[in-house]
Amino acid sequence: MAGPVLMLDPVFVWLESTALSRWMVESPSVFAFPLVLALHTIGLALLVGLNVALDFRILGVAPHIPVTAFRRFLPVMWAGFWLNAVSGVLLLVAYPTKALTNPVFYLKLGLIGAATAILLAVRRRLLSERMPSSGPGPVKLLAMASLGCWAGAIIAGRLLAYTYSRLTATGFH
Amino acid sequence: MAAFQRWLEETLGSADTVAALMQTQWAWPIAESVHFIGLTLLFGSIAAWDLRLLGIAKGVPIAAFHRLVPLSVLGFTLNAATGSLFLMTFPDQYIYNPAFHLKVLFLGLAGANVLVFYAITYRHVNMQRPDTSIPLRARVAGVASLICWTAVIILGRLITFYRPNNCQPDEAIAFLSRCFP
Repeated sequence: MAGPVLMLDPVFVWLESTALSRWMVESPSVFAFPLVLALHTIGLALLVGLNVALDFRILGVAPHIPVTAFRRFLPVMWAGFWLNAVSGVLLLVAYPTKALTNPVFYLKLGLIGAATAILLAVRRRLLSERMPSSGPGPVKLLAMASLGCWAGAIIAGRLLAYTYSRLTATGFH
Repeated sequence: MAAFQRWLEETLGSADTVAALMQTQWAWPIAESVHFIGLTLLFGSIAAWDLRLLGIAKGVPIAAFHRLVPLSVLGFTLNAATGSLFLMTFPDQYIYNPAFHLKVLFLGLAGANVLVFYAITYRHVNMQRPDTSIPLRARVAGVASLICWTAVIILGRLITFYRPNNCQPDEAIAFLSRCFP
């Protein structure tokens, strides 16, 4: 990881010099870094929260809710997804070196990618009405994998604050 | 309020074993991870219920959504437990922190909203039938719940940006004050 990442150092230096990055890092306003971080957690709650509820429903909790009713929550989940894509990019622009030199960040992205792919696979079944109301099957495996990937993504995300080796491209950390 | 805050700091701070354990290398990040996983369990199940009260997926009886409550209870229990660990480790960082004060206020409001729903509103809502109109007070409860829990999450995230410092001569310990003795 060290080789290709060191090659990116000029990119990090440039990113960290942009006005957006400086604003995120240096602005004393609560609406800069703190609010973006808070919104990242709201997006997490909307997307992962409702997805976890859907996963548990598929696994047999609240059996009287038809699984297909969760279709109605999909727009809310996608709103959470896009809120976190945007707030995540802002957090990345604030500290690109910190994230991109940390293997845990790539693990987090991979787990989010896997969980999102699983959600899309479950969504196809929700929209096509091929969803069995309960009973074992591949959908239950998808639900379990979804729970595992989201839990892993959350843990990896938390660990980013403890496992980074460099804070900025130019600073000593 | 100041006397209560000092008493709370003293009481919570007396858990030496917990504080020592929480300051071992990975204890804090693990507890934080559990706190965030609990947040998704709690918020997701409650948001689904609130959205149903607001008329989304109204073809499904409200009672069916009520069966998600165990997930809410599980999430809340995880977060009350891990939250207590944080408080027992660094009580002053929370007890004199205005973001934490407001977080607790909104937790209280969210709890009061639940109590009012079960004490009063519950009886005016047809839990069993799909597609019935939802009384205004139940819809208000749904909106209030979404606002309160969103505020709890935002304020929780802001705690770290409002860490208290030693009180200056013109400052005093109080609700929303940002200094400790």
